Amino acid sequence: MAEEHNKNSERPVAEKGEHIIARHLVDDDAIKEEKNLVIDGVDVSGRWNTFIVTRVDSEFDRSFFDEIQKTVVGSRINRCWQCGMCTASCTVTPLYRRFNPRAFIYMMQLGNLKQLKKYIDVAWRCVGCYKCSQRCPKQVNPAEMMEALALLIKRYFPEEIKSKHQLKIDEEVKAIYEGMILGHGRLDLANLHTSAMRKMGKTTELLSDKDERGAIFKMMKDGRALSVLRLGKPHKWHKSKDAIDNYLKHTGTLEQEGMI
Amino acid sequence: MAENILVIGGGPAGLHAAIELAELGVNVSLVERDTFFGGNPKKFKYKYLFPDLQPADNVIGELVKRAESNNNIKKYLSANIESFKEDGKKFNAVIKSSAGSETKTFDSVIVATGFEHFDPAKDSKYSYQLFDDVIDIKDLERMMGEGNFTRPSNGKPPKNVAIILCVGSRDRHVGNQYCSRVCCTVSVKQAIELREHFPETEVYIFYMDIRTYGFYEDLYWEAMEEHDVQIVKGRVAEITSGPDNTVICKGEDTLLRGPFEIPFDMVVLASGMEGGPQSPEMAEKLGIELDEHGFLKQANVTLSPFKSNKDGIFLAGACTGPKAIADAIVEGGAAAMKAYIYAKKNS
Repeated sequence: MAEEHNKNSERPVAEKGEHIIARHLVDDDAIKEEKNLVIDGVDVSGRWNTFIVTRVDSEFDRSFFDEIQKTVVGSRINRCWQCGMCTASCTVTPLYRRFNPRAFIYMMQLGNLKQLKKYIDVAWRCVGCYKCSQRCPKQVNPAEMMEALALLIKRYFPEEIKSKHQLKIDEEVKAIYEGMILGHGRLDLANLHTSAMRKMGKTTELLSDKDERGAIFKMMKDGRALSVLRLGKPHKWHKSKDAIDNYLKHTGTLEQEGMI
Repeated sequence: MAENILVIGGGPAGLHAAIELAELGVNVSLVERDTFFGGNPKKFKYKYLFPDLQPADNVIGELVKRAESNNNIKKYLSANIESFKEDGKKFNAVIKSSAGSETKTFDSVIVATGFEHFDPAKDSKYSYQLFDDVIDIKDLERMMGEGNFTRPSNGKPPKNVAIILCVGSRDRHVGNQYCSRVCCTVSVKQAIELREHFPETEVYIFYMDIRTYGFYEDLYWEAMEEHDVQIVKGRVAEITSGPDNTVICKGEDTLLRGPFEIPFDMVVLASGMEGGPQSPEMAEKLGIELDEHGFLKQANVTLSPFKSNKDGIFLAGACTGPKAIADAIVEGGAAAMKAYIYAKKNS
C-alpha cells in the first residue's frame, strides 16, 4: 500500500550510471559522468569515467541549529532526543512514508542539508494536527518544527522549490494565512494547503492525484480529518486577539524580518 | 571485648565502612595499597560529582577527614595483605606496610578494593595515546581537577569536542559485555562542564543508548536543554588523524543510516569500569569467588549482595561491579552492619 508510493522502489533504472551494480541503491545526483575525461594524461572516456559521490557526511554544521533555535517555531530544537514519538503519532507518515518529522528534526540539528534536500517534495506535508506536539515527551513541538523546516527549505533551496513544485506564496495565500491566525489563533495547515492549491488553479489536481485523493479519503474514514478540523480556538483567545490587534495597529503587518 | 574487623580498601566504600564500625566501638584496621586514602576519586582528582555537581572534596575529603581523625581506626597506607588464613570462625591476616609486617586476628572482613578505569589503549580503534587530543573520562577529570583544562595538543580551547560512550563497555571485542553504569552520567556532566568552560565549543555525544538512570536523567536533560549538547546516535569505529591538527571520528549515524567522518579538535572516551588486577588477587588470597566479569562475586545478587561466598567476608563498593560513588558509600554502611553482626555473634 504505502510502500507503493515509496519513491525508491518506483524509480526506473536510468541510463545514467547503468554499469553500476545495484544501481537502484545510488541516487541520481550522486553519479558523476564526464563525456571526455583525462586523468594524469590517460584518456578515461567511456565507462571508466563514472564516479559515485561519497555518501559520507564529513561535517556537522551547527549554524543551522543556531539559526533555527532563534526562530519562535524552532526554539526547542535542542530538546529533541530522537525517540520517534512524533513520527509514530503523525497523521501524514502512514500515507507518505518519506515524511518523517523525527528524521527531519535530526537533520536540522546536525545541519545536514544534503539529506534534507532529498525530502523537499514531502517536507511540506504536515497538516498541523499537533498530535506530535501533544505527545512529544520533551515538548519539542514538532508540528511547529515542521514550519521551521519549511522556512529552512524556502531559504536554502528556493530554486528547487520553484522549478520542481511551482510553489508560490502569493499575496492571496498570505491573506488566507493571516485570516486564520487573526480569526482563530490557530493555523489550519490542511485548509491553507487546499486554499493555496485553489489559488494556484490546481483544484482538480487536488482530487486527481492518486496520493492526495487516497489521503483525503482515508482521513475522512478513520476520523483523522475530524481531529484536524476540531482544533478550535486557543484558551482565552480574546486576550491574545486584543494583543495582536494592538500590535497590528502599530506595525500594520504580521510579518517581521527573520521571525515567524 | 571490642571486635576486630579488617577493611581492605580506602576508597569511598571502605572509608565509610571503617567510619561506621569505628563509631560502633569496633577496632578497625583499614588497609590501603596507595599512599593516600580516597580511592580512584582522589587518585584522578575528580573535581565535581554528579548529579548535583558538588565539589568532590565535600564527599571524599570529608570521608578521609573523618576516618583519619578516628582513633578506633588503625590506618595502613602503602599496604597489602601478605597472607590470609581462616582460623575457625576468625581470620588471621598479615598486613605488610612501610612500617613492617603485622599479624592480627579479625572477627570479620570487609573487602572494598574497588575498580580500575578501563584503559582505552587496550582498544586500538580509538587511537588513545596515539593522538594528544584523544583523552578519556579520567584524563578530563584530572585536567579539570588540576585547573588545566585546554586542548592537550596546543593549549587552546577546542572548537568542537566528541564524547564517545561505551568505550570498554558493552563490547565483546574487549571482553566486557556489561554496562559500566556511570559513564553516561559522568559524560553528560563533563559535557556541561565543557560548555560552561568553553561557551563557543560545540559538544557532541556519540551514543548507542544513554543510560542516565533515575534522577541522573535530570543532568542529561540539562545538558541538552540548557547547554545545547548534541547527541548523535552511532558508535565510533575508528579515530584517525585529520586536517589542521584534528582527529576524525568515523562511524555510522544509525538514525540516518549513513556513514560519517567528522573532524574534531578533541575526543573524550567514556571509558568504563573494570574489576582491575586487584580483584583476582583478592579472590585468590581470601579464597572468595570472582564472577564472569572479573569482579568479586556476591553470594546472592538480590538477597545478600554484601556477602561473599565465604562466611565472615563481606563486600562493598565497586569491587562487586560498576557503580556510582553514592552507591559505594551506601554499600560501605550496609557491609559494615553485616560485618558487625557476624563479629558480634562469633566473638
